[in-house]
Amino acid sequence: MSADTIICIDGVSKKFCRSLRRTMLYGVRDVACDMLGMTRHLSCLRRDEFWAINDASFEVKRGECVGLIGPNGAGKSTLLKLINGVTLPDQGSLRIFGRIGALLELGAGFHPMLTGRENIHLSGAILGLGKYEIAKKFDSIVDFSGLEEFIDTPVKQYSSGMYVRLGFAVAVSIDPDILIIDESMAVGDAAFRKRCLDQINAFIQAGKTIIVVTHNLQEIEKIAQRMLLLDHGIVRADGRPAEVIASYMNLLNTRILLREEFGSATGEPAIEITQMELRGGDGPPKSYFRSHDELRVIIGFKAHRSIVNPVFRVQIFRSDGLFCHGMNTERHGVECGEILGDGKIILRYPDLCLLGGDYWIRAAVLSSQYDELPIHQMATSIGIHVESEMIDGAGVFAMPCEWITAA
Amino acid sequence: MDEIAQLRRAAIAPEIEPRRRPMDVVYTPRGVQRDGVGGWQIMFRELTESSRLIWLLMLRDISVRYRQSILGYIWAVVPQIATVAVFAFLHSSQVLPIGGTKIPYIAYSLWGISMWQLFAGCLTNCANSLTSSGSLVTKINFPREALVIGALGQPAFDFVVRLIPVVAVFIWCGVVPSWQSMFMPLLLVPIVLLALGLGFVLSIANLVIRDTANALGIALTIGMFLTPVLYPPPVRWPFYLINLLNPLSPLLGASQDLVAGGFLTQPEMFAAACIFSMGLFFGGWRAFRITILRVLGYA
Repeated sequence: MSADTIICIDGVSKKFCRSLRRTMLYGVRDVACDMLGMTRHLSCLRRDEFWAINDASFEVKRGECVGLIGPNGAGKSTLLKLINGVTLPDQGSLRIFGRIGALLELGAGFHPMLTGRENIHLSGAILGLGKYEIAKKFDSIVDFSGLEEFIDTPVKQYSSGMYVRLGFAVAVSIDPDILIIDESMAVGDAAFRKRCLDQINAFIQAGKTIIVVTHNLQEIEKIAQRMLLLDHGIVRADGRPAEVIASYMNLLNTRILLREEFGSATGEPAIEITQMELRGGDGPPKSYFRSHDELRVIIGFKAHRSIVNPVFRVQIFRSDGLFCHGMNTERHGVECGEILGDGKIILRYPDLCLLGGDYWIRAAVLSSQYDELPIHQMATSIGIHVESEMIDGAGVFAMPCEWITAA
Repeated sequence: MDEIAQLRRAAIAPEIEPRRRPMDVVYTPRGVQRDGVGGWQIMFRELTESSRLIWLLMLRDISVRYRQSILGYIWAVVPQIATVAVFAFLHSSQVLPIGGTKIPYIAYSLWGISMWQLFAGCLTNCANSLTSSGSLVTKINFPREALVIGALGQPAFDFVVRLIPVVAVFIWCGVVPSWQSMFMPLLLVPIVLLALGLGFVLSIANLVIRDTANALGIALTIGMFLTPVLYPPPVRWPFYLINLLNPLSPLLGASQDLVAGGFLTQPEMFAAACIFSMGLFFGGWRAFRITILRVLGYA
């Protein structure tokens, strides 16, 4: 543990129970054991229990902005709860050096019958602010929420957006050393979202530590310097955003494929894609491109049985899952003829007009372009990083365009 | 010399100035430690830190309770007057053989029921304090005992409101309380501590098993009739034994003694009940602290 470590998580595990009846039973038993000071067998799972967090270990340094991603039910929220100290680990230890501000559920401490003003004072006190601290920050809280007109209205008459705005304003006013955010900015209008993002950026500028859970990869990639991929309670990847997002995409892709394979319930496919790589022209495989470069997607396949006119398909997705481009051989009128054994097919983009960002490419072979299920699809997709110039514009594609000034 | 003093001041000053939460928290399966402090020490520290929060929570409950009601605080006295009216009728029509009391029955029962409702109100409110706070308890990290202690505010306030009809009836019946009645607030302390100690345990139990609140309602109804609230302390077997084991009886009895005669008829029982309440309060508080974070996982 180095000097600027602010969160130190060491072999932390947390278990949950699937059945409510057993939850009650185990709850009573565990509480009784705790009271009597008896040791409990925390390391083994009882019936219907599973690890929500399984042996997670990592450190967060002061000033880092960490994005936490993973599929639903991966344990992201549980991990945030552990860091926030609202639940105890079953194994391992968490060490936190600083005041935590949690945006887990905005406005959780509000009482519907109290006015906005009263709620600011009360939830400020719940979050640990003293009387004078609240008095000093009151105006800025009201200002930030933009609710001057409604400050003496009971919050039960607030719209859900107003409620969240007030909650956010109070939560950030405690000036935390560590800010943890759980998907809470999904509500609120565009202007407020922008203000939230600005506030988070201001926190980053001020050297605060931030941990964000999100499914909006595009947004998180802009602010996070580091990402953690959580799946089934296990930390699968930890590192630079582009790499972690790529492994997340592969994970999701594998999941989708597994489901598809269950759905099709056929035996060994007649043809398989064995290999995929990206090249620029004739050079070696690479994953880093600039807009307007040449891109070649090289697909290696193996036909176990003779197959006539299979359709090859390539799809490009942006890191947040936006489907950017897809092409198949049938659309181009390319006929592959009868295939047996190993072979190769290349899709060439002479002018890659994607704008800067992270994308992933996957390939499949189908019996027709209208097939619901491909015959085979690569389990892993390939991540590609694109850089572009200012002149290419902003958005998804670098489209040729020009200004015509009327004289 | 001056320089040293200045240096010392400079070294101390930044620590005093920002009153922030202490740093360095460690969470392990065994519990929480802050700045290397755990156990009783951190309990007292967090209690003093959250004193203002407790006060605000009390104010919140009191001010919110009757906000959307026309009769408002009148509702605080209605159940008490209704119960006493029924029992006074049963008593005067000789349907129930209730023994003689030192002061007129209506004053005796009204005072008794006010004390009982203070206890029952505190206990019910404490037991429900965590479940009724919803996501506040599971999503925000703060000393949760503030919620349980804060739940005392509203029943305590209701008690004060209920004193108005009590005083009115005392004047109407011509009862003059003894001068020792001014020690009454001291008597309320063990009653409230008893309710709080039990409330700590029941609030946790209610988080795990929701039957607790329902069972408590029935237990309190039965408890009211097992405690000499509406009748004088029993002297006959087996009610005598029940009364002897009921920690609330000597506490309520002492308050009635104080009003009527100015001296305690059972001082040793009263002392035992006081010690019992203290023990229950600290035991319940400790149990609450040990189990709360564990139980939130099951909430």
